[in-house]
Amino acid sequence: MLNIIVMEKIADYKYALDESSIIAITDQKGIINYVNDNFCNISKYTAEELIGQDHRIINSGYHPKEFIKELWTTIANGKVWKGELKNKAKDGTVYWVDTTIVPFLNADNKPYQYVAIRSDITDRKKGEEELKKILKEISDYKYALDESAIVAITDQKGIITHVNDNFCKISKYSTKELIGQDHRIINSGYHSKEFIKELWKTIANGKVWKGELKNRAKDGSTYWVDTTIVPFLNQAGKPYQYVAIRSDITERKEGEKQIKKSNLKAIEHAQILELKNTQLVDFCNIVSHNLRAPLINISMLVDYLEQSEDEIERKEVLTKIKPVVNHLMDVFNELVESIQVKQDTEVKSDPIVLKDCLEKVLRGFETQIQEYEATIQIDLNEAATIYFPQKYMESILSNLISNALKYRSPDKKPIITIKTKKETKNKVILSVSDNGLGIDLVLHKDQIFKIRKTFHRHPDAKGFGLFMTKTQVEAMNGKIWAESQPEKGSTFFIEFKTQNI
Amino acid sequence: MNQIKNLALVDDDDVFVFLTKKTIEQTKLVDLIKVFRNGLDAINFLKENKNNIAVLPEIILLDLSMPIMNGWQFLEEFTKLTPSLGKKITVYICSSSISQDDITKAKSINEVSDYIIKPITKDKLIDLIEKL
Repeated sequence: MLNIIVMEKIADYKYALDESSIIAITDQKGIINYVNDNFCNISKYTAEELIGQDHRIINSGYHPKEFIKELWTTIANGKVWKGELKNKAKDGTVYWVDTTIVPFLNADNKPYQYVAIRSDITDRKKGEEELKKILKEISDYKYALDESAIVAITDQKGIITHVNDNFCKISKYSTKELIGQDHRIINSGYHSKEFIKELWKTIANGKVWKGELKNRAKDGSTYWVDTTIVPFLNQAGKPYQYVAIRSDITERKEGEKQIKKSNLKAIEHAQILELKNTQLVDFCNIVSHNLRAPLINISMLVDYLEQSEDEIERKEVLTKIKPVVNHLMDVFNELVESIQVKQDTEVKSDPIVLKDCLEKVLRGFETQIQEYEATIQIDLNEAATIYFPQKYMESILSNLISNALKYRSPDKKPIITIKTKKETKNKVILSVSDNGLGIDLVLHKDQIFKIRKTFHRHPDAKGFGLFMTKTQVEAMNGKIWAESQPEKGSTFFIEFKTQNI
Repeated sequence: MNQIKNLALVDDDDVFVFLTKKTIEQTKLVDLIKVFRNGLDAINFLKENKNNIAVLPEIILLDLSMPIMNGWQFLEEFTKLTPSLGKKITVYICSSSISQDDITKAKSINEVSDYIIKPITKDKLIDLIEKL
């Protein structure tokens, strides 16, 4: 009775096993002597084809020899073997099975048969393989990124959680020094608060930020990186970490800076060249007109003398030669003087106490000032000292004051105002104003500083003073200009550069 | 021989004016030579006499470099004035400047008939008057 119950129970188990698992039984040599339907289904062989065959009929060749040897050693020793096997079906397809092999032992404790219980895990294995592939791909990407870029990962608060070797190399910090630190450790302070705020606003909103950043390394040196920051979002769509991918663009940035610098220099040189060129054109005009005119006069006078037979006329013509020669000498000397200023590049600037310099110049005009009852107003409060060559400064002041007195109004007593104005740290503007005749600048705009140009019917008007003044100012990189209205007066301005010595 | 009534010299150079006047007198082709020492004096004269055909010059010899109003400035004013003048006036620039800039600039002005580089010879003067 008990036996019947036991037998029934065993039969039930066997049935359950047959239904649920893939079963095969081999003898101790591995020759199949039983397979269930599940085995036939998965291996695609019929029971007839399998019975009597070596179990190796379903070997896939996938597992290494050592693995198979280990299996046999285990079960030959009467121990249960568990593992995952890849087998091959009749049609060549493979399948994975979770396998338990139970050796049945005889009275001598030697296995006389092996029962292999398997379950199909092909789908799981496939999933695993897929996952492995994806993982490999991901790690390949990571490798590629780590090799090529400067990578850092921070949490949502900006605390560094990962850096790669490139990051350490460029920032000169070790991984240890960086992990756990606020990302601001590499801030250079170069960018404006608004710029940084905008960056954080972008990534905190889950958007990718791209831009160029200047960072500071551990040793204080700075470097430029082209930066892409990608926020990683959690299921709620909130960033939980930020991945910053950078590339070093320091050289490019340096190059850009260099180019900007050389561009500025080129512009500066071009301006100097332009000025020199204008001066050269002026010089050509002076030679072609101011020197040529008296020469022609002389030649015409001589020609006339040669052909004239009237003695009185000859005498009259003869007296005209001398003044022309004198005039030619004057122009020639003026020209030489102006060329000397232009060539005198070695001339040195001295700190000139304007008050002293003015007193000296004004002493030369004492008689005229008294005669014309002129008032001289001096305001040097903003700049009392100007760096300039002493002899040029005296000549400039002398010319401007002389003009102010010479071209005074016939109806007004002359008032001359000499003033300085500190434009910037580096620039001082000196002005000399009068209430005299003034110049019609609409008519004479281009002419006032040219040689031998005069604007008033004055016997002493030679047209050399302002030309010389301009030459001296420009030789020292300064500027000169004028404001004037007929009948109201003129103001001459001189801008002195490089004053913050 | 073509005779003209009036010729104007607009030039501040005493020697040039003296000699040119003498040369013109020798040609006996001009009744009256008027001299203006700068552009402004000449313009003012033309303005005052724009309908007085008898005194307006047939020919102006114009210097470029002059005080107060130079030759170029004179030409600007003259161009504005021409339509209201009662007589056709032929303007020659007569300058000591050999600068190509000046010559090119002169050629670009319609009112200028020619650019004469000083000195001006008797033959050239006769030629100018004959050509009128």
